This record gives sequence, structure tokens and C-alpha cells, in this order.
Amino acid sequence: MMAFYFSRLVEIFPFFLKGLWMTTQIAFISLFTCTILGFVLGILRSGKNKITKRLIGVYVSFVRGTPFVVQVFIVFFILPEWGIQLKAFPAALLAMAIMGSAFICEIVAGGINSISKGQWEAGTVSGLTLIQQLRLVIIPQAMKVILPPLVGQYVLLIKDTSVVSVIGVMELTRVGWVTVMRIPEGLMVFSLVGALYFVISYPLILLSNYLERRMAI
Amino acid sequence: MIEFKHVNKWFGKLHVLNDVNLNIAEGEVLVICGPSGSGKSTLIRCINRLEPIQRGEIIVDGVPVHDKKTNLTKLRADIGFVFQQFHLYPHMTVLQNVMLAPVNVKKMSAAAAEEIAREKLIQVGLTDKAGAYPIQLSGGQQQRVAIARGLAMSPKIMLFDEPTSALDPEMIGEVLDVMVNLVSEGMTMCVVTHEMGFARKVADRVLFMDFGKIIETGRPTEFFDNPQTLRAADFISKILTH
Repeated sequence: MMAFYFSRLVEIFPFFLKGLWMTTQIAFISLFTCTILGFVLGILRSGKNKITKRLIGVYVSFVRGTPFVVQVFIVFFILPEWGIQLKAFPAALLAMAIMGSAFICEIVAGGINSISKGQWEAGTVSGLTLIQQLRLVIIPQAMKVILPPLVGQYVLLIKDTSVVSVIGVMELTRVGWVTVMRIPEGLMVFSLVGALYFVISYPLILLSNYLERRMAI
Repeated sequence: MIEFKHVNKWFGKLHVLNDVNLNIAEGEVLVICGPSGSGKSTLIRCINRLEPIQRGEIIVDGVPVHDKKTNLTKLRADIGFVFQQFHLYPHMTVLQNVMLAPVNVKKMSAAAAEEIAREKLIQVGLTDKAGAYPIQLSGGQQQRVAIARGLAMSPKIMLFDEPTSALDPEMIGEVLDVMVNLVSEGMTMCVVTHEMGFARKVADRVLFMDFGKIIETGRPTEFFDNPQTLRAADFISKILTH
């Protein structure tokens, strides 16, 4: 029986690759948008304006204090009540962007705050604008602090894409769900699902470890 | 060149600058001293608006510094500032440190900026360190790079905030030598320092502050040898005996 299921699994393996491709798309589009949003929010959060700081603080606390599944439900089922109707794929991307940017915001703000005030002042007195100070002086130094946890966060984000299966996006986890109905060999099916996630995450785990060692010096 | 008119500043309830009136002429070398917390650092940090003021006016080269419309980039490009803790950019080489503002503020070409940077490094005696990173330099060398970084913008004024206080004693001389050379080039300078030797040698005027007020000003010899106020006399005796 096992052998039979295994050959069935091999047969429908292209279906898994489709799911993997969807997961990869969601993951990498999300990493990209989360990084950009996270940096913008993180820079604002480390800035001087108290109102923006407070607002971002509330946003971050909300995201960190609620389960991602609930956030996905809000985006997919609650937003339509306010007239924002999204298909599953864009809804998944939006939910990921909201969640990921909040975590990256904290990492970026922490990195920027680790740079001494003197570095800002050195830039200021030589006439650099605020943007130039950030781009030329602060961010390059803060990157040392930001990069290792950022890549670690990427790994978490990739794994969190599995949650959007609950709204019917045909990504890897969803493919597992669907398959297991036809091939009732759960261990085998979800081992495959797990292995495929691992294929995307592991290089990033290695990168994160490498960066952690390198930046520690 | 620099004019303070009834300048007042508070940090919360603390009155750090109390009705400061001061005129610094072009080419003048002013040494500011006083006990810690007397407001001397704050005074020079207001000149390029590193600090806001709450009342009064500061005019630098005809420009009202704390006016909202003032172009701060332009103003700051004309004023060099040297910190007690150097604040070099640790991720850049010495040469890159010195070139950064000419390239990004004055929009010079990299080649032109490098030429100026190398010239300034010669001036502070660090030609052979152009490719080094700040962490590889001694404190005295770092401070000289910081001076070169300020000079690379061809400023009209140089401000020094206790430039030798963070240095080991044997390195103070090399930094002061660079500053003395600057004086001979006619640079307008405000120097917060307790280096009496430097003050005696090159200062046109010494200004003594306490509790945010200018207590006494005078030529260095008069001030050190014959202070007019009890507080100044007390302060001088303290830095002499220490």
C-alpha cells in the first residue's frame, strides 16, 4: 500500500512544484515589500516625531500581539465589509506585508538606535541632510546590527506563508491539505511539504548564521 | 563674524545660556573655559544650530542662524566643528571620512574632493594614513583626521568642543600643534578648552563662563594672571593645581 501511495505521490509531484512556486512567489514578494515598508517604518520609529513614533508603536504592538491567522482573516473577511474586496492572492500578500513590516520595523529601529548620537551630529555639522546622514552614515553602520536578525526574520516569514492556506491560496501547505484527502498517508505527504519548505529556508538559515558570526567580529 | 544678541537657552528648567552677548571678529581666536556644566559647549553648539535657542539671536556672517528660513546646509558647510569624541565614521577610511562632505554637500567630483582631502591630510600630518580605518588610529590621529574633515569644506569658522579632553596626555601636543597652525592661517576659531598653554600662546581673548553666563572676558595674560572675579580666580587656581 505504501509503495502504491508513494508512486501516486510521484505522479502528482508537479502539483507540489506548483504549490512550491506559489509559496516562493508569496515569500519573495513579501520579503521585498516587508523590507521596504519595514525600513521606512523603522526609520520613522527611530526618528524625532513623537506622533508618528506613537502611531507606529501602536501598529507594531497590534501586529505582534495578535495571531497571524487572525490578521489574515481580518484582511480577507473583514475588509470586504468596508468595501475592500481582495482576491486570496493579493489578500495574502497584504496580510504578509502588514505582519512582516511590523517585525522588520522593530529590527531596523533597534539597529538605528544602536548608533551613537555623535554619528548623527558629525553628519549634521558637515552639512549633510537628514536623508544623507541616514544613507551615508547611519544605515551602513546599523546594517551590522540589522542584518543577522533580518535574515532570521526572513526565514520566519517564509514559514508563515503557510498560514495563508486558510484562505484558499494554493501554496505548498494547501497542496498538502488537498493531497492528503486523496492519498491518506499524512506522514508521507507532509514530510514532502516540510522538505520543500526546508529547501527554501535552509540557505537563508545558513546565511543568517554566517552573518551572525561575521558581524560579531 | 559671529554675534550673540541676548541669547537664552533652557534645558527644561535649567537655564544653560543666560542672556549671552558676544561678538567674535573675523580671524579672532576665542578660547572659552569654565567649570563643567557652565554652558560653554552649549554656547558653541548653538553657533551652527546643533542646539536650538529659546530667546535672542545669533548672527553668523550676516545670517540669522536660528531663523526658520535659513539654509542650514549652506551655513553648516561654512562652519567646521570638532568634537571631544572625534566622531569619525568608523565604516569609512580616513580619506573617505574627509571626502564625504565635499562630495555630498558641495557636490564636488570624487577626484576634486580627493585632491582637497589629501591636501588637508598633509596639513594635519597624516598623509600615510589615508587608507586606514579610524579604529586603527590613535586618539590624537583620529582627532587630527576630524580636523581635516572639518577643513575639507573650506570653512570660514572652526569650532572646537574640548578637542583634547578625550586624549591621552602624550597626544594632546600633536592636536594642539595642528590648531596653532590653523591660527597662523588666520582662521576664525572658537575653542572650548582648558589648555592654558594653548590659550596663552594663540588666543586673542579668553571667555570665562559659569552658570550659563559670561562672567569675565579678557586677553589671556590678563585673564590668567590677573582675573577680575573671584569665581574666575578660583577656577584658574583649580586647573593650575590639578
